[in-house]
Amino acid sequence: MSKTFDRYASLVFMALGVAFLVGSLQIASATYGAEVGPDIFPMALGAVMILLSIRLFYGTFRSSQTEETEKSPLHLKRFFILLAASVLYVICLEIIGYLLATFLFLVIGFQGMQKGKWLTTLLVAAGFSGGIYYLFVEVMKGTLPGFPTWLGG
Amino acid sequence: MESLEYLMKGFQIALQWQNILFAFIGVFIGTCVGTLPGIGPISGVALLIPVTATMTGGMPPEQAAASSIILLAGIYYGAMYGGSTTSILLNTPGDSAAVVTTLDGYQMAKQGRAGQALAISAIASFSAGIISLIGMVLLSEPLSNLALHFGPAEYFSLMLLGLCAVSGLAGKSMTKALLMTVFGLLIGTIGVDNVSGISRFTFDYPPLYQGVEFLTVAVGLFALGEVFKTILERKDAEGKVAEVGTILPTRQQLKQSAAPIGRGSVLGFLVGVLPGAGATLATFFAYIMERKLHKDPDRFGKGAVEGVAGPEAANNGASGGAMIPMLTLGIPGSGTTAVLLGALVMYNIQPGPLLFEEHPTVAWGLIASMFIGNLFLLILNLPLIRMFTKIVDTPIKYLIPCIIAISIFGVYAVQVSTFDLFLLIGFGLLGYLLARHDYPLAPVVLGVVLGPMIENNMRRALTGSNGDWLIFLQKPISLTFLIASLLLLVVPLLLQMRKPKQNATEAM
Repeated sequence: MSKTFDRYASLVFMALGVAFLVGSLQIASATYGAEVGPDIFPMALGAVMILLSIRLFYGTFRSSQTEETEKSPLHLKRFFILLAASVLYVICLEIIGYLLATFLFLVIGFQGMQKGKWLTTLLVAAGFSGGIYYLFVEVMKGTLPGFPTWLGG
Repeated sequence: MESLEYLMKGFQIALQWQNILFAFIGVFIGTCVGTLPGIGPISGVALLIPVTATMTGGMPPEQAAASSIILLAGIYYGAMYGGSTTSILLNTPGDSAAVVTTLDGYQMAKQGRAGQALAISAIASFSAGIISLIGMVLLSEPLSNLALHFGPAEYFSLMLLGLCAVSGLAGKSMTKALLMTVFGLLIGTIGVDNVSGISRFTFDYPPLYQGVEFLTVAVGLFALGEVFKTILERKDAEGKVAEVGTILPTRQQLKQSAAPIGRGSVLGFLVGVLPGAGATLATFFAYIMERKLHKDPDRFGKGAVEGVAGPEAANNGASGGAMIPMLTLGIPGSGTTAVLLGALVMYNIQPGPLLFEEHPTVAWGLIASMFIGNLFLLILNLPLIRMFTKIVDTPIKYLIPCIIAISIFGVYAVQVSTFDLFLLIGFGLLGYLLARHDYPLAPVVLGVVLGPMIENNMRRALTGSNGDWLIFLQKPISLTFLIASLLLLVVPLLLQMRKPKQNATEAM
């Protein structure tokens, strides 16, 4: 669709191909008793990837496709709120425990999607995190870091 | 016939109480997932792999594999059905295979016949499920017999054929599809090489020694990718849900749809068996065929029952048919079957020619459970149509954060590593960006799953031949596969060159 994206993507993939190709040159080539070492397969793939990205790059100049104009505005604000919340959730998961981290993530997430209805937000968030934890740890006997480790839980 | 005997054994497995339960849960969750806005069959299956993995955690490996694949397959065809529910009620197809259903289904809904359209589509799905079951029983034996002649060279060429089929036939641009395949294969090489024990591309970072887990890639690309898309692009105001009306179809409607259902099922099954073609194509074919065969083609697009029945049957027929190359050859025909394949690999079960020999419990249990699952689909859907239409209304405000939380929970429960969670979010962003610009995602997952197997077979074949690469050309079966892969890549290119202008407009 977007030629600009394709152009950048082809460069990124080309770099990736080169990285894998160079990386595989540093792997010991043959191991004892095997004809083909662990380096051949990734090396070949890296080469193919470079060729394909050249083809893609070349194609972006040739294609007669008209650029599609998508004017619908993206909800960037709520996207970044949710993305940041997800990253924070992952960082905090093992530190403050599953229950608290999930609850907080969901509260931020719900409000980030759309403000208001605090009572429902709190109830759903509490119900969801508690429900998953109960089902997984009590019913299915799985392990999750339930409570903050520094509380001795 | 030997197959029938195996099928009976399969029924014994599928009729164990826990497997009936799993089939039921699968179909139920699948229908909900298909109906929910923002998640389709692929992300539904990917999302629930970790959940099933924990549910079956305490069982012996073979049984656990059988039970979870039964559940996941249930989600697959449940979601296929659920996707058409939103097509009919809201004019918004749940996935690309349900697009055709909107043409006549939504028209029926506007005329107050939504309930009947849903019922017909349930009946069509059921019949197609049964027909594809028969096809599976007939086809699996000859295919697995053929497979007994396969050595590593043949496997290598066969998997190459699978990758070429998915990249050559799916997606708008073959370059992009191939690029995605190679990308997946490269991800698959990260980690400690299991032949030589040498670590590759790990940068001495311990979490990478195990390699990038298939599950993380699949949940990230499909589930989180779709979530990010919904967050960014979805407008809050959606269309109004149509009234359901009467559910029971009239005798005349049943009569009118009987033949389209039969034709659609067979057509869908055959298209589904071809690797790479998939359900979307099958539904389009079925719709066109019904319109051509009908005495009064003008009725189509104005709420013709046949226009719902044919494509819906083809849709489910294709999802049954796509199971065959996945199970017998290890080549998935669609994104969802690629994810199912990955799930089987997670349980150390190698889909492919020997599956029916080595793991008859899994293979035949799954096939038999598809019969039971389709029965549930019918029983569940006719009385519960009203309930499922309520699900369509779930506000995305609550849905989206919950899906993110489930993805993170699922991956963490299986991997127990924060590193995988960061990878998950990364793949989510990547999945959104790539899908938005028409890079197909199924080949990535396929590459990650098949990569290690391809490499192992290649090296085993070469060790056997003392490093002579000609071995892949000397074995007749292997040569045939290689020629077929080459044709799959070259023929579309040739066609493209012959009509360069048409193909730009034909992007459908």
